[in-house]
Amino acid sequence: MKKIFTLLKINLNLNFGISALKYRFTREKKKRWEPVLVVLGIIAGVCSMTALYSLMMLGVFNTGLALNQPEIVLTVAFLFGQLMVLIFGIFYVMSMLFFANDLNILVPLPLKPYEVLGSKLAVVMVNEYMTLLPVLLPPVIIYGVGMKQHFFYWVKAIALVLVSPVIPLILDAIFLLVIMRFINVRKNKDLFAILGGIIGILFAVGINVITQRMPKGNEEEFIRNLLLGNIELIELIGSKFPPSIWVTRALSQAGISGVLYLLLFIAVSAFMFVVLMWLANRIFYKGLLAGQEVSRKRKKLTTNEADRQFSRVTSPVVTIFWREWKIIVRTPIYLLNGLSGIIVAPMIIVVMLVSQKSGDMKELFELINQPGAQMVLTLIAIGVVLFTAGMNLVASTAVSREGRTFWISKIIPVSPKQQVMGKFLNSFSVALLGVIIMSVVMAILLELPVIRFIVIVVIGAACSVATTALNLLIDVLRPKLVWNNPQEAMKQNMNGLLGMLISFAIMAILTAAAVPMAVAKLPEWIIYGTVLLICVALSVLSLLGLFAVAEKSYHKLEM
Amino acid sequence: MINITGLSKSYNKGSVKAVDNLNMHINHGEIFGFLGPNGAGKTTTIKMMIGLLNPDSGSIIINGHDIQKNPLDAKRSIGYVPDNPDVYDRLTGIEYLNFMADVYEVPADIRKERIKYFLDIFNLSDAASDLIKSYSHGMKQKIVITGALIHDPAVWILDEPMVGLDPKSAHLLKELMRKHCDKGNTVFFSTHVLEVAEKLCDRIGIIHKGKLIAVGTMDELRQGDSAGSLENIFLELTEK
Repeated sequence: MKKIFTLLKINLNLNFGISALKYRFTREKKKRWEPVLVVLGIIAGVCSMTALYSLMMLGVFNTGLALNQPEIVLTVAFLFGQLMVLIFGIFYVMSMLFFANDLNILVPLPLKPYEVLGSKLAVVMVNEYMTLLPVLLPPVIIYGVGMKQHFFYWVKAIALVLVSPVIPLILDAIFLLVIMRFINVRKNKDLFAILGGIIGILFAVGINVITQRMPKGNEEEFIRNLLLGNIELIELIGSKFPPSIWVTRALSQAGISGVLYLLLFIAVSAFMFVVLMWLANRIFYKGLLAGQEVSRKRKKLTTNEADRQFSRVTSPVVTIFWREWKIIVRTPIYLLNGLSGIIVAPMIIVVMLVSQKSGDMKELFELINQPGAQMVLTLIAIGVVLFTAGMNLVASTAVSREGRTFWISKIIPVSPKQQVMGKFLNSFSVALLGVIIMSVVMAILLELPVIRFIVIVVIGAACSVATTALNLLIDVLRPKLVWNNPQEAMKQNMNGLLGMLISFAIMAILTAAAVPMAVAKLPEWIIYGTVLLICVALSVLSLLGLFAVAEKSYHKLEM
Repeated sequence: MINITGLSKSYNKGSVKAVDNLNMHINHGEIFGFLGPNGAGKTTTIKMMIGLLNPDSGSIIINGHDIQKNPLDAKRSIGYVPDNPDVYDRLTGIEYLNFMADVYEVPADIRKERIKYFLDIFNLSDAASDLIKSYSHGMKQKIVITGALIHDPAVWILDEPMVGLDPKSAHLLKELMRKHCDKGNTVFFSTHVLEVAEKLCDRIGIIHKGKLIAVGTMDELRQGDSAGSLENIFLELTEK
């Protein structure tokens, strides 16, 4: 048991980067503000999302109360929370148990497989609380306060919330342990990463559709209808996944029966834990080691192929441009975070507009046919296009993504200016792709004529030059080159957030210029001309700035 | 030819002197072995020679070009192999070599010939179209060496190049180093394998706590003690 705690301690340390944070706070004093800002951002994000969610749950509670089933809010929440853990946990547990880099260090140590697996799973569980608490706490509080529950309810609630991720995570782990004995999932690591990402995106789009469909002002009625229409479904899922029902009964039933359900829930969780540990000792390492072999095609290069490959001589800038593209497309995290915005954002827009009630669409099309509306719609379309382009992380992580391979950029006889040019062209090509796709979507949805489509694309492209250059400038000035996992380079990189803020600042400047002119009813071409002029001026300035700092900044970066 | 004058570099705001007033001159046609205990300043020196680190003071002239003042020309003369082959995992071997050939502006016919030659001698032809992430440590090392030598640089700077290589590849590399110097070029490499240094190097430098404590041919290092092996000399010098 002592070993499990030692392992757990070191895994939690690594997971939350505690030693790294300590180092940062004591040594790198200049960067102290980064973690503070990240925590504040997370709190703000969670609070805003929880507020809306809490309102929904209040609606569910009131509906349940009217039906004399107030506990339905608990069933819905625990079912939702545990299913979420079950579905997303699969990918998380898989990456922790089978893909983690430190497994190569842990396996040779004199540890039992169940000790390694147990400590890894505990880390997953701690992380799951971060997503589960905002899901479970509001309904538990709503029910507890609403039903005027006593002290014992809160004790039971704390125990149940803490134990709630155990069963779904163990189900995931058992499923994976068995599957890994037969299928070499490791070989298809990238495929699974992409699959996980796509499920996440679909989930986000789904949430979006539901919130879009909620009629403003009538949220409660909508939730009541949704709940009444699905009550059988909830009961059906509950009967297939009874732990959520046990939780509901443990919390809603007073006296001894509530306690019995609580004990049942805890006992089943504990029993499953024992089963998992037993299974881990038998098959965990077998599955893990079976997945260690790396497959190679080992295809001999024919003379023709070799000739064709080697005769492609390109300039340094172009070769850097293509290197960036290849690495983005072949690294799932980069692909999902860099390119998904280009595809997902238009998808959300389409879903949003199409899922609106037909009445709203009718109003929209009446608006389209009104004189003067076309200009407003064009400006809105430009705004949406720029917003999507601004969300792109490719430029703001262009240098960071090089990580440990940055030494190559330092030793090659290509000037930083040229290297940055290659990166700029690469990031801009991604942004331009997004601008074009989004412009097509907007032009079709808003029934805009070709000439307006061209205006949107031209302004979108001109503005993207400035945003791309400035985003890249941030990353050239302060790249995050030390990371162990591409995810850290992309998602846990302050530069992405800073880049987005800059993009939005540019949008604010353009809006501030365009809106007064539109209100003053100036001719359209003057508005577009001015916006374009500002974009071009900003682009020129940002490019000059970028190339000016590239040389100095690359020189300063040491490996 | 490599000329290092008054080179210094310290970390933690001057509290740790990694390299302390280093002076070295490596001639044309010379294989120079750079030895020293762990943390003596070998890699720091090498990193300054190729522009990965900026010196606090001093100058480094590579093949007539100052790496600080004229970095691009200096870099064109260098073939560098790092101690850890961190390369683009998501490119294939061929793509990596083509990338290196492009940035060193190697013409098509020459790159074709050189890539084929290296893939062949290093036994990498079969793996060249696979992603580098599927390579073993030794294979990565060999692809990095190939990439570093693709433009036929006059000066080779190799940081523990034999680590991870199988005996045949290590032997091949040693032969390549000898041939390269016989043509009047320069090889500068660090190593912990004293037997290799003893047999291969024309001259040897030993760095300890950031200072060059000995430099010369094997005979000069022995200084009369004809029985002394490089191991004895090394241990004696670095235990002070």
